[in-house]
Amino acid sequence: MNVGVAHSEVNPNTRVMNSRGMWLTYALGVGMLHIVLLSIPFFSVPVAWTLTNVIHNLGMYVFLHAVKGTPFETPDQGKARLLTHWEQLDYGVQFTSSRKFFTISPIILYFLASFYTKYDPTHFILNTTSLLTVLIPKLPQLHGVRLFGINKY
Amino acid sequence: MANPSAVCNGHLHHQKQNNNLLKSGIYKKNGITKGMKKNGVSNGTLYKKTFIEHFEQAPMYVAVLTFLGFGVGTVFGYLRDFMRAWGLEKRNIAAEREQQKDFVPLYQDFENFYTRNLYMRIRDNWNRPICSVPGPQFDLMERVTDDYNWTFRFTGRTIKNVINMGSYNYLGFAETDVNALKTVTIELEKYGTGICSTRQEMGTLDKHVELEKLVAKFLGVEDAMVFGMGFATNSMNIPALVGKGCLILSDELNHTSLVLGARLSGATIRIFKHNNMQSLEKLLRDAIIYGQPRSRRAWRKIIILVEGIYSMEGSIVRLPELVSLKKKYKAYLYLDEAHSIGAVGATGRGVVEYFGMSPDDVDVLMGTFTKSFGAAGGYIAGRKDLVDFLRTHSHSAVYATSMCPPVAEQIIRAMKCLMGLDGTTQGLQRVRQLGKNTRYFRRRLHEMGFIIYGNDDSPVVPLLLYMPGKIGAFARRMLEKNIGVVVVGFPATPIAESRARFCVSAAHTREMLDTVLNALDELGDFLQLKYSRYSKSSHPELYEETRLEFED
Repeated sequence: MNVGVAHSEVNPNTRVMNSRGMWLTYALGVGMLHIVLLSIPFFSVPVAWTLTNVIHNLGMYVFLHAVKGTPFETPDQGKARLLTHWEQLDYGVQFTSSRKFFTISPIILYFLASFYTKYDPTHFILNTTSLLTVLIPKLPQLHGVRLFGINKY
Repeated sequence: MANPSAVCNGHLHHQKQNNNLLKSGIYKKNGITKGMKKNGVSNGTLYKKTFIEHFEQAPMYVAVLTFLGFGVGTVFGYLRDFMRAWGLEKRNIAAEREQQKDFVPLYQDFENFYTRNLYMRIRDNWNRPICSVPGPQFDLMERVTDDYNWTFRFTGRTIKNVINMGSYNYLGFAETDVNALKTVTIELEKYGTGICSTRQEMGTLDKHVELEKLVAKFLGVEDAMVFGMGFATNSMNIPALVGKGCLILSDELNHTSLVLGARLSGATIRIFKHNNMQSLEKLLRDAIIYGQPRSRRAWRKIIILVEGIYSMEGSIVRLPELVSLKKKYKAYLYLDEAHSIGAVGATGRGVVEYFGMSPDDVDVLMGTFTKSFGAAGGYIAGRKDLVDFLRTHSHSAVYATSMCPPVAEQIIRAMKCLMGLDGTTQGLQRVRQLGKNTRYFRRRLHEMGFIIYGNDDSPVVPLLLYMPGKIGAFARRMLEKNIGVVVVGFPATPIAESRARFCVSAAHTREMLDTVLNALDELGDFLQLKYSRYSKSSHPELYEETRLEFED
């Protein structure tokens, strides 16, 4: 039961991405990552951008599309236990503003990375594959879909 | 009250939101809901006195830092989990036996992530054992931890006279004064402690009848019924009142007991935004226009579940608008006065009296004796036919044991004191003292620059802390200063709004409140908790002169 809880929200995870300041924190986090990578002397600017893109997409994939369930117990009898955070957002309603924001942000990062790497072929392949790993799970058609039984339970 | 989109005389009047609010005497400015200040009260308004509630938002950097705090906590949580999994760190939490390692796990360990990695770090601020009556001051058992809150041990010492800012002791009836409890002792010797029967079998004593008559007289209704447990009053009686085919409109921040009762009933539940009458009206209109989900039949019953004072926000329900809405759309109103009975109102009769309304406007008046009366149990009051129905149909009456007689006597003596039937004015004095303490406490906190939620008249004062690190720091340092507070964080509150909740009591003296306020002042400067941008600071030289213009 929601014992000790002061609201009737069954799964607080659904609302976390809509909270005030979350998008800004996310943007600042990506910016911070990029600055850290830029300050490492061994990385040239294109490498730093590609690394930002790849690390950001890796983090996004792990936290939004790989980790399932909630880090706290919820009174919904385990409905969200097999769902990734992306699938839990707004209780599965598609095309909400949070979903749109988190779909567009890797695309913007991809544009920036492509520009700063001067469209070099190797970087292009890396960036594009990494973008696809993070865009495809967000499609509404793949809601709840687990390919080859990976990450099913 | 005119509805903005009502059709009148063939014309569709589409009045703007502002007009609607102005008519009711309330408007929002700078995130603060204020009532219009007038010389007298005009006839057109619903509210007889100004209704001021604050829900100020902190500056954006606070939200960003809060999320960063949780992010850092999460990263370290993963790190520690990794170290525990690979044996680099001792595992303190329960583990399965060696033979069971191949079985399907009973629990998902990710569900425990938050408890393990964030809650455990600050766990010493909750479940502190006390060893005296929780009056305005109490004694705590001193406990220390050797392994970072995984286990505790008691040193054997007690911390004496800790100021109690966490107990719901609104009227100060949690006392051990022998003279005051004389009748309770007599009843205890006469009846014993247990009833061992349900109301419908052999558990209805003359004490219950006396108490029910007194409660009905206190509230000004026809009849009342009392139950042994406050939580169970909600969870056992809502299923008796509504069932399948009925609609429950419940506030966003309703208590668990109301939510449980609503779910057990089998009715359809729709949630409206906290204290937001426009949201509720929209839901009501949709419900009446569209009926039940697939069959489009009319709903058998529509009931609105609200609370008098919401314990985590300190906000008071907008009862006049609610009653006018319910009358217009012919819905029932269930008012849970757990925190407001005894605590608000000129003579302590709850939100109904606070707004100057008649108890006949509310269909089901529910309340608990746990908070203001220093006892246990709950009541449901209303018309006689409602209470007679509950006497036969309530699940609690059939299956649960009834309230035990000494507790009933405690409620009787507290209620008689409150009503003045014991021959003194002590009850009224307590209510007035609570009002004074509440106003003083809130005013001083506003002046200091803290962000406080809730209505100016509610004795529940949530002070916003926001960041997860400050939750632990605040509670521990307050204990060092000999003040006991209750802190709450995510997931009990929204993620970016962790808070400390103070419950002002009539038993607090001005000195105690001043001690607490001075400690808060110091701690607020040290932990940088004074986020409010609107109040006049007590250090005017640090701020420019920006006075908030109150509309006169």
